[in-house]
Amino acid sequence: MRIKYAVLTAIATILALPASADNTQGIAESTIKIGNLGPFSGPQSTFTPLNYGAEAYLRYINEQGGVNGHKFVTVFADDSCNEAKGIGAAKKLIYEDKVFMIMSNPCSGVAMAIKPTLVQEGVPWIGASANPKISRPTSPGIFHATYTGIESGRAMASFAMGKPSTTKIALAMHSDDWAHGYCDNATDYIRSHNGDIVATTVLEHGATDGTAQALQIKASGAQAVMACLYQPELIVLLRELQKFQINVIIVGALGADFNQVVQAFPNHDWLNQRFFQPYQFKARLGTGPLKKYHDIFVKYLTKDELPKVGEPTNFYYFGVPAAIVTVEAFRRAGPNPTRESWEKAMESLRDFDTGVLADTETFGPDKHVGVEKMYAVGLNAQGQETVYRAWGDALPETE
Amino acid sequence: MLTLLPQLLISGISTGMLYALIALSMTVVYRATTVVNFGHGDMVAAGAYAVFVFGLGFGLPFLVALALAIVLLFAVGFATQRLLLQPIVGGPHLSLAMMALAIGYTLRGVLRLEWGNETINPQRPYLQDAYMFGNVVITTDDVVICGIVLLLLVVLFLLFQATPLGKVIQATFQSQRGAALVGINVPLFHAFMWGGGTALGAIGGVMLSMIAPLTPDLGQWTLVQGFAAMTLGGFGSLGGAVVGGILLGIIQKLLGFYLNTVFIEITGYLVPIVVLLLRPQGLFGRRAAVRV
Repeated sequence: MRIKYAVLTAIATILALPASADNTQGIAESTIKIGNLGPFSGPQSTFTPLNYGAEAYLRYINEQGGVNGHKFVTVFADDSCNEAKGIGAAKKLIYEDKVFMIMSNPCSGVAMAIKPTLVQEGVPWIGASANPKISRPTSPGIFHATYTGIESGRAMASFAMGKPSTTKIALAMHSDDWAHGYCDNATDYIRSHNGDIVATTVLEHGATDGTAQALQIKASGAQAVMACLYQPELIVLLRELQKFQINVIIVGALGADFNQVVQAFPNHDWLNQRFFQPYQFKARLGTGPLKKYHDIFVKYLTKDELPKVGEPTNFYYFGVPAAIVTVEAFRRAGPNPTRESWEKAMESLRDFDTGVLADTETFGPDKHVGVEKMYAVGLNAQGQETVYRAWGDALPETE
Repeated sequence: MLTLLPQLLISGISTGMLYALIALSMTVVYRATTVVNFGHGDMVAAGAYAVFVFGLGFGLPFLVALALAIVLLFAVGFATQRLLLQPIVGGPHLSLAMMALAIGYTLRGVLRLEWGNETINPQRPYLQDAYMFGNVVITTDDVVICGIVLLLLVVLFLLFQATPLGKVIQATFQSQRGAALVGINVPLFHAFMWGGGTALGAIGGVMLSMIAPLTPDLGQWTLVQGFAAMTLGGFGSLGGAVVGGILLGIIQKLLGFYLNTVFIEITGYLVPIVVLLLRPQGLFGRRAAVRV
């Protein structure tokens, strides 16, 4: 009887455990299965171009014949930027779809929520979410090929303080982890460079009015505002600052698409040399080395995946580096990749030029965030989109 | 800091007028059917999207697009009541509230399917200008919003107080069974009032999209504010909805500026708590008496 119970208990225990992912899960003879996780529904679905940018590049690689005889097969999963839903979606990708790795995943909350599962199962992750805690300290298989809140927060503050005599800075932010990821790092930079935080104002998700926040900024005498806000609320704040003619420079975080923000101002003269964002790329969108990616988006994405109006925007391009670096690591890992060989290949990347980002990618066993240096983007005095290396130092235009 | 007080009051009134418009449209439905439409915020957003589609999508002039959107949203409200609420009208009140909530979420999901990954800058029927009166800035939006809400308030007041339809509304609000006994087609009347309330909400959505970017979640924030304004003013009171909306707008601005900006969001939740505890009938509502 005791033996019977022991056997039943053992069977029940085995059944209760999810099937653990093996180190070649998702790799077949001619395919590599990738999980593309993102907010395809819900209020944060403005981030989905990050998912589509990565996917466009994989489709492009597939048409070139793939990598070492493997073509990429993408399984999309919707997390709605919701932690509970994200955990369910990631588990489905890992245990049912049996993907090799998870890519894109723009939402920091979801990325942090699924991290324990990824680490437990050894599933690689290379995403675009901003929370630096995802890849710092390093965990096996978890990489950032794009900028986290640390790099972006510092870039926001250093650009604003690059304007001569700018020391009084106000913060306008959401009260969530994402916003703190940017604004806390900007604050550290400002304080360590003899600047003052003269006001901290909160604008919550869904807010349709920012009068009190704008007037607080005005009353504080701030010279610059670090706006750690998502796109709709950033637009609301900018409109209020414009309404009250508050003469500050505003540096937004990467939660908003620069081009879509500018498009929200039919007469955007007021934004000229006033609104900036940290900029991830080595040229203006669709020009110079980025022209290739514009053409890839237009060719390989469907009508539903492209913007309803206008050209592919910032987030499409920002989705690409994760895919480029992933493909390069597979190339280096050889015809029979495993998780270990792919991770080793990732960590072997030194000064690898994605052709997209302002910085080159360098990884190592103790460094799983590949890039640091950022530029800034804004409208110059003539209202033309301009990339700056630092305040007043515009990057030469490339065709 | 007191030099900014006049500006905060003016901005509070302007924002409050918008809340009042949302509260008014919810009040119209509540007064006729005694149902609080928890899906109303999403109908507000749908109204703004309808104008966007008719205007920029089909290239129609703004006023034509607005008229079509009002007709469309009236039809949506009418159909919602006839097809989805009427069949369960005899059930518990909670079922009606849950149905309204579910309809709102569905509508939002549909909007997200098409426009979820972008913010939209809708067509503007007038140029945005700012006028300085000393230290106070008043924009064209402030003037237009206040003007439209006051106009609608007058129209609704006359409709409710000085027309036979107003008497029907009052009779149905007081006793649906009694209204039916004197020959009023209560279900059809309810459908018309749902249509009317939804169309009014659409106007609110259009005004809202003038000051905030258009996203499928546009109505979420305003639903909370509209509900708070309704509670403060008194359920079922048209004047109360307007006064409640204006007071809420002013309170948000003052607390947000002088205490902390985090109060701006929570005021919409604090006000119903305080009002329901201290004066459940609100400022202008009637105390409900239950006969036992």
